[in-house]
Amino acid sequence: MSSEVTVTRETVAPVRKSAGWRFLGSELSVLFRRRRTWALLAALAAIPVLIAVAVKLSSGPPRGRGPAFLDQVSQNGLFVAVVATIVAIPLFLPLTVGVVAGDTVAGEASTGTLRYLLMSPVARGRFLVVKYVGAVVFCLAATFTVAVVGTIMGALLFPIGPVTLLSGTTIDPPEALLRIALVCLYVTLSLLGLCAVGLFMSTLTDVPVGAMAATVVASVVSQVMGQLPQLEWIHPWLLTQYWLGFADLLRDPIVWDSFVANALLQAGYIVVFGALAYGRFSTKDVLA
Amino acid sequence: MTRTGRKSWRQWTPAAVAAGAVGAAALVAPFTANAAVDLPDKTAAEVLALVQEKDVDAFSGTVEQASNLGLPDLAGLTAPGGPPGGQNNDDGEPSPESAALELLTGSHTAQVFVNAPDQARLQVLDQLEERNVIRNGADLWYYNSDENEAIHATLEDHQKPDGEMQAPDDIATHFLEKIDASTEVTVGSDRMVAGRPVYDLILTPRSTETLLGSVTIAVDGETGLPLGVTVAAAGSSDPAFSSVFTEISYEEPAADLFAFTPPAGATVTEIQPGEHQGDHKRDHERDHVDKNAAEKPTVVGEGWDAVVVIPAGQQELPPELTQLSTPVEGGQLLSTTLVNVLITDDGHILAGSVTAERLQAVAAGQ
Repeated sequence: MSSEVTVTRETVAPVRKSAGWRFLGSELSVLFRRRRTWALLAALAAIPVLIAVAVKLSSGPPRGRGPAFLDQVSQNGLFVAVVATIVAIPLFLPLTVGVVAGDTVAGEASTGTLRYLLMSPVARGRFLVVKYVGAVVFCLAATFTVAVVGTIMGALLFPIGPVTLLSGTTIDPPEALLRIALVCLYVTLSLLGLCAVGLFMSTLTDVPVGAMAATVVASVVSQVMGQLPQLEWIHPWLLTQYWLGFADLLRDPIVWDSFVANALLQAGYIVVFGALAYGRFSTKDVLA
Repeated sequence: MTRTGRKSWRQWTPAAVAAGAVGAAALVAPFTANAAVDLPDKTAAEVLALVQEKDVDAFSGTVEQASNLGLPDLAGLTAPGGPPGGQNNDDGEPSPESAALELLTGSHTAQVFVNAPDQARLQVLDQLEERNVIRNGADLWYYNSDENEAIHATLEDHQKPDGEMQAPDDIATHFLEKIDASTEVTVGSDRMVAGRPVYDLILTPRSTETLLGSVTIAVDGETGLPLGVTVAAAGSSDPAFSSVFTEISYEEPAADLFAFTPPAGATVTEIQPGEHQGDHKRDHERDHVDKNAAEKPTVVGEGWDAVVVIPAGQQELPPELTQLSTPVEGGQLLSTTLVNVLITDDGHILAGSVTAERLQAVAAGQ
């Protein structure tokens, strides 16, 4: 390959500020016009549908079997959203987020579009930020897809009524919906660190599948380590440490400690892996 | 330097700086919270008086409890909910003894709300579930979210619900009652607990028969409320048990926290006055009354060397515990860093924070 087609950081055109916003808009529209994005969201939406239909067809699971709250679904449809979220957290959400985050840079590189994107007046740092924000918007869409589809399925198949919180307090359906929305925000927050990991993986390779797999593996390994009591010293630092902490939003009064701890932890991951991705990407010679 | 060399150096600089900054922030944050504390000097007797004269009517806070008793982590085996999102056995119903045992292994977080004299609420925050003990006047409620089960009892006197996690101030009272001539009481250096300056009251048993090395009670320098209890086994500096407030507020908790109505669909059990607290479970409706009348547990010795002797046939240990015991002369011994339990061949149970030899000596004297 001749040196003329190699875009190094020195050859980037002068940067204009508005270009970043315009780039973000086009990034989001590309992301959400992709058939793959909709397939991922549809797969996530299938979780609450399956749960709701399965519970409706069976006589209701006995107490203490299956994921938490499952036995409450037949009495109150709002729990479909909560159960589906619990089911989606360990694997399905990280899987879809891994696909999107792992694809951010490597996907452009593999299709050969990265070079052209970088010739437009967008600095590499801003390029990464835009790619990251795109992945974050997908996280938000993914978690709300599970919850919204869950709520709709619950309302269609089961009665909707006052919801009993973990503390034994009963709240009305509108407040319950508010709590479910808070849970979605918590879960989205939990995935931000994983997004940053995916972005970094994506800068390492031109093969998107590799970056996607590495990201999903990172989340699985983190969860496995979280299960091992021998590694207790490392637990507070694990990406997935507070993933199930959203239950603290279903207590009365709401316990915000895990929300704050989770936010700090995820911010740490964003800073470190964001810097890793920037260091790698800003010095990368883009050949494709 | 070659271009490649400079590049690879430059490539990882931002990450190194960021990781350093995050690590530094994480390491420094706890220390700034623990900045130098200087309370007016007090003798041990003065700190004890401060605890006894404490004038705290209402408080709320978060408690972290951690145990390292040398037992395997039984949480996975006996926790009411089993592993998160996992499956339970059909007969996975924990007995009250197992539930109490589970509280003694691993770590737990709880929220405590107290409005003296007769309103209190304890919320044990488990993953995806919660256990509540709520006292409002004469009403005592227990609620377990995992089983959606509520138990109601009417209190006659100032009895406390047993089998649940306790707040540090209750645990501290238990140890302070033990103070006698056989205890050396000293005051440690001032420090911060839950954002409050505290005196460390250190109780050291002079007895050689006890397993306890020292008990440290963190006493709020202003209010006298015990904010933390740390117990170390003899010959070890690592805490074997600690129960410490991580947050505390002396504002009166909202009144509706103490008003509990069992949620629709919950199984509600009424306990009649006089009935034993632990007997509410369906498979535990044993004929306790007759047996209780026959023989009562006795306490041999006093202070740190006290041994509780439970007559044969009165109480059964949870199977998880019997499995962990080892055969010794005269019976089976269950040994932890803080407590030894001896199950004699004739069925007596002897328990105490004392050496196995002392348990055997007491058993021989029965």
